[in-house]
Amino acid sequence: MAPDKGKKSKVAERGDEDDSDHIDGELVLSIEKLQEIQDDLEKINEEASDEVLEVEQKYNEIRRPVYTRWNDIIHSIPDFWLTAFLSYPAFCDLLNEDDQKVFRYLHSLDVEDFKDVKSGYSITLNFYPNPYFEDTKLTKTFSFSDDGTTKITGTAIKWKEGMDIANGVDHAKKGSKRPFHDESFFSWFSEVQQKDLSEGFHDEVAEIIKKDLHFFPPFLLEIC
Amino acid sequence: MVADKGKKSKVAEREGEESDHIDGDLVLSIEKLQEIQDELEKVNEEASDKVLEVEQKYNEIRSPVYSRRNEIIKSIPDFWLTAFLSHPALCDLLNEEDQKIFKYLLSLDVEDFKDVKSGYSITFHFSPNPYFEDTKLTKTFSFYDEGTTKITGTTIKWKEGMNIANGAVPEKKGSKRPFAEESFFSWFSETQQKDLSEGLHDEVAEIIKEDLWPNPLKYFNNENGGEDFEEDDDDDDEEDEEDGEEDDG
Repeated sequence: MAPDKGKKSKVAERGDEDDSDHIDGELVLSIEKLQEIQDDLEKINEEASDEVLEVEQKYNEIRRPVYTRWNDIIHSIPDFWLTAFLSYPAFCDLLNEDDQKVFRYLHSLDVEDFKDVKSGYSITLNFYPNPYFEDTKLTKTFSFSDDGTTKITGTAIKWKEGMDIANGVDHAKKGSKRPFHDESFFSWFSEVQQKDLSEGFHDEVAEIIKKDLHFFPPFLLEIC
Repeated sequence: MVADKGKKSKVAEREGEESDHIDGDLVLSIEKLQEIQDELEKVNEEASDKVLEVEQKYNEIRSPVYSRRNEIIKSIPDFWLTAFLSHPALCDLLNEEDQKIFKYLLSLDVEDFKDVKSGYSITFHFSPNPYFEDTKLTKTFSFYDEGTTKITGTTIKWKEGMNIANGAVPEKKGSKRPFAEESFFSWFSETQQKDLSEGLHDEVAEIIKEDLWPNPLKYFNNENGGEDFEEDDDDDDEEDEEDGEEDDG
């Protein structure tokens, strides 16, 4: 490493100014080599990301026709979602008569995890235009923070005139397990208070939809 | 609601089902949907496997590069100590004694398990020193399919009177080590998971693996950039010199 000697004397001068005697030519060279390696690593990482993306795109393409077949079958079944919900005993109790009428307009159900999966998820009910509310999407979102708390947000439903079956009255009924057939399923969207913070997250409906309704895959169904 | 009246009588037969909405057509359709569901699951598994393959492949490509990096780092005195002290989060973790011990730190190694998804280990290699017998201190994280994580850490063989991590400390599982007094080395004995439901949450491990390990030079330079190693000046000079040398070479 011949050139080093030259560098060393130059740097030695500078070295006098600074307290560190680590500054010498070899050190500089090492650091430069290290930088080159970091640059190499960055290139490798970019390549890796690109390849992963390619794989994901390829499988998205493979999934597409399968989704189409899925859609076709679902749309060939009248009142599919309503029937599906009602065939789950847990849900039978949650839908009162009015709810069932609204559910006939239910188009699809999405369950989507947050990007990093652990920090939360959202459940979206997609509706066809209907006489009950303006919205086409009703979503309830659960965010889990590192400190153990859960933040819950739900769509404020834009009920059409005279159609508010969820009824303004008892949003205060936090904690109620909705034992009565009369209470509307749709009040679920305004239940954003955690029942028992110390017990952590506990939204039965969300849990049922997310876990038990696994029959229905958590991906976005295209609107036909 | 569901279908035409004719089918309803069929349903009446199917008394076993709790809902009278289920009829023959629906059952068939649901079966078809189940098949599609199974197909999708297979496709998703394949996709995950392929992604994993890519990650494994690149880990193998990176491995020799990390080895080369290691060799170069050995010629930079106190590289890892400096990088640690220059990292905004890690700098608070080394008390004075720890810093003295870090002078004996030869290298740091972060290694994924071969299949990438089942875990990784972080190893600190030390040269013989007056503090402990070990030359390698490792902390390993193993992820199991059912979602649990097993954590193991080297039980440090401290030399007489040198146990700065101190018996009492390992009980402080979950503490964020707010005081500079607590030794970094107690990290190796923190093998209890804080909150199983939330999965692995070892901040130090995450920072080392995701932040420091990929590019420690970034932090090392930061420190030097401010103090003894005025990069800008040196770079200009070095570049001129280098260019000259390259032309010659």
